[in-house]
Amino acid sequence: MSNSSMQVTKSPRKVPVAAVVALGLVFVFGLFVVGFDQGHIFSMAFGEQAFEDMYIHELTHDLRHAAGFPCH
Amino acid sequence: MALKTAMFIAVVLVAGATAGTIHGLANLVLVEPYLDGAIMIENQALFASGQEEDTPEFWAEYESYRIWQKEGQVLASAMLGTSMGALFGIVYVLSRDALPKGHDLKKASVLAAIMWFSVYLVPFLKYPANPPTVGDGETVVLRAVLYLSFIAITGFGAVGFYQVYRRVAKNRKFVAFAGYAALVAVAFALMPPNPDEVAIQTELLDGFRVMSAVGVTIFWTALAIILGALWQKLRPDSEAKLQH
Repeated sequence: MSNSSMQVTKSPRKVPVAAVVALGLVFVFGLFVVGFDQGHIFSMAFGEQAFEDMYIHELTHDLRHAAGFPCH
Repeated sequence: MALKTAMFIAVVLVAGATAGTIHGLANLVLVEPYLDGAIMIENQALFASGQEEDTPEFWAEYESYRIWQKEGQVLASAMLGTSMGALFGIVYVLSRDALPKGHDLKKASVLAAIMWFSVYLVPFLKYPANPPTVGDGETVVLRAVLYLSFIAITGFGAVGFYQVYRRVAKNRKFVAFAGYAALVAVAFALMPPNPDEVAIQTELLDGFRVMSAVGVTIFWTALAIILGALWQKLRPDSEAKLQH
């Protein structure tokens, strides 16, 4: 059995920029979808009709009120 | 040494999504009865104006739609939780060394309390949540701009005055708190009020607002507990080397 001593070393943390950017995108996109979309995202596929249907608005409607986002 | 990137992102997203789901489930019990009450007032207005007829077909469609919206509420809560969890994770990893020493549960709880106060409670006091029937569709963009602007002021203000707190001498720390209080007071005074008229029963309005605040507070509490516990257990910021 070896008698060699062990030493634990820790070096300063480096926060990966890529992780912060990825999480920043998750934050912005998620917040927009849940709190503020009025048909904008689906309008990329369905055009003006998406602003009439407001599918995401209707799906997230109850949470918008419950979490304090402005709603109709 | 680099943070374990994949582990860091996974901890943050799992904590946010789980806390968000808890928020959504809590809302089913706390907030949904008030939403149902408010939407019922809207239905009565539709019947009175002749836009809809009070028929069994209407109610069958209505019930089906409301079930879909309540399921959507839980899904949206999970998404919002993931989104806010991502913001919380960024702030946590950047500020962790400055948070009180000890267990990550303690660190996460302190940060969650600060963020709950600065990006939720203070904006809520200026622009409180409203149930359906209160909001005017014509003003929704203006209200969104006001709400986000206020959150930006109180959130970035907290970051700014934290820098002041770090730099001033121990016996002058109160300057940072006083400065933040002054900033909030000025923002309260200068920012326009919600332009919509609130014409709804006080009991319904107050009950809804209290339950809304309880629900969001449950979210921040769950987020702190889950992220703190996961961080403590999985240590995404630690890669200790064993040297012989």
